[in-house]
Amino acid sequence: MREVAIIGVGSTVFGKFPEKAIFELGTEAVQAALKDAGISPKDIQFAYYANLYGGMVEGQAALRDAGITDIEITNVENACTGGATAVRRTWYDIASGLYDIGIAVGSESMTTSPIAGKLIPPAKGDLSGELGMNTMAKFALSQRRYMDISGVTLEQIAMVSVKNHHNGCANPYSQYKKEFSAEDIINSRLICDPITQLQSCSTTDGAAAVILTSLNVARRYTRKPVIIAASVIRGGDYAFRQKDITFSDVTYKGVKGAYTMAGIGPEDINLCELHDAFAVNELQHYVELGFCERGEEVALLMDGVTNIKGRLPVNPSGGLLSKGHPLSATGVAQIAEIVWQLRGQAGKNQVPDAKVGLTHTLGGEVADLEAGAVGVHILKV
Amino acid sequence: MTKVLFQKGLFEETQGEPALIGSKCGSCGQVLFPVKSVCLNCMSADLESIRLRRDGILYTYTTVYMASEHFPPPYTVGWIELPEGIRIFSQIRGWQENPLKIGMDMRLYIETLWRDEDNEVIGYVFKPVIGET
Repeated sequence: MREVAIIGVGSTVFGKFPEKAIFELGTEAVQAALKDAGISPKDIQFAYYANLYGGMVEGQAALRDAGITDIEITNVENACTGGATAVRRTWYDIASGLYDIGIAVGSESMTTSPIAGKLIPPAKGDLSGELGMNTMAKFALSQRRYMDISGVTLEQIAMVSVKNHHNGCANPYSQYKKEFSAEDIINSRLICDPITQLQSCSTTDGAAAVILTSLNVARRYTRKPVIIAASVIRGGDYAFRQKDITFSDVTYKGVKGAYTMAGIGPEDINLCELHDAFAVNELQHYVELGFCERGEEVALLMDGVTNIKGRLPVNPSGGLLSKGHPLSATGVAQIAEIVWQLRGQAGKNQVPDAKVGLTHTLGGEVADLEAGAVGVHILKV
Repeated sequence: MTKVLFQKGLFEETQGEPALIGSKCGSCGQVLFPVKSVCLNCMSADLESIRLRRDGILYTYTTVYMASEHFPPPYTVGWIELPEGIRIFSQIRGWQENPLKIGMDMRLYIETLWRDEDNEVIGYVFKPVIGET
């Protein structure tokens, strides 16, 4: 396998843009990535395009208007992990030597999707879905038990949302850009008890794109290529094998694989963008990602370790809670955020001297499995 | 109104005693719900259909305040842990009258899940067990 690097990243602002088609958002992100890389659209040899709620060949439409046609284009879907999956496939096609230059894109318009204004259900006919399951209920069930067995309070969980909304205020790509207090978060509308609206990510539209090349080719375009040290996608195992629904086994296994692939451990990570679709997830993921032992996660948050100025900043972008969560775009956008950080281009949210960053997405609800898929990437300079 | 089963083969009611129907693997002992044709744990085809125990423990629950396809808000769902060692996702009824608490005893009932234009859809729910020791 060859080393693969990122030479360009681009993103739309995340927000509510019902007037924009999914492919229009995609085009905007692709154009931004091309500009960032300083590469001609004619030099892109292949593409993976992630989208869940659109129609056919969304990728071809988005790339068409950015001047990219007549190449291999694959459209992919993997729920919230779709974007990370597009990056993983692009990584593999270059690492294996098949191509030298490719683009991974994720785009989603949640405001115009069939589930706009609804809780996200599993696929039609899913046993749990028919009985009232949705992605928020799934994590509300986890949060209820987590609070019950660990003694972690709603006030402590709300502090994740306070931190990430604070970070998002200085991120020009963020949907909210607004500070909230723990009280605001707890007193916002109750949706799936104990999850309130502001403990949850919002309905969001947006797209992001990253351009990958072999490391040798990357040096032609940039003096600071960001290397993909690990790229992992893993599907969830049977739910009957999950001992405790408050601990994501698929996240634990996925990140373990990523650490092995990168030849590093959690102690080497300088910053992290993780899947905070719900505030409670961030605390649980600290443990699964190896940032602390079980029972220490609240201290990690409350002691400021995961603040931008802390030892291990988590979601310095504002995360899904503040940036928003256009499902298939999220995994790609997280990688763009880490690239900006590793290049020193993250503006007011810059983490000092960051060399190694980790991204994590977790998505998809399906009966009898713990989750749909996890995606983990480790980037380094 | 025609009474229709929510999905075939999930449950039965004999002599007034309802039960969910699962599979038990003769090779590794894994219990599965709903019935499967092979054991998902060890891939053995040596499965027998069994009636799962009617009573379980509330593992966790949530009340949902937005509509789903079949249920108007608010509705409550949860995971019930059965003595066979598996968790069942289910609608929970009786939560307005009896405050739910993780670890409480729950019992299976066969009831109308929802009504659509022509049909009354029959399925399973769990309710808190009250006043028994």
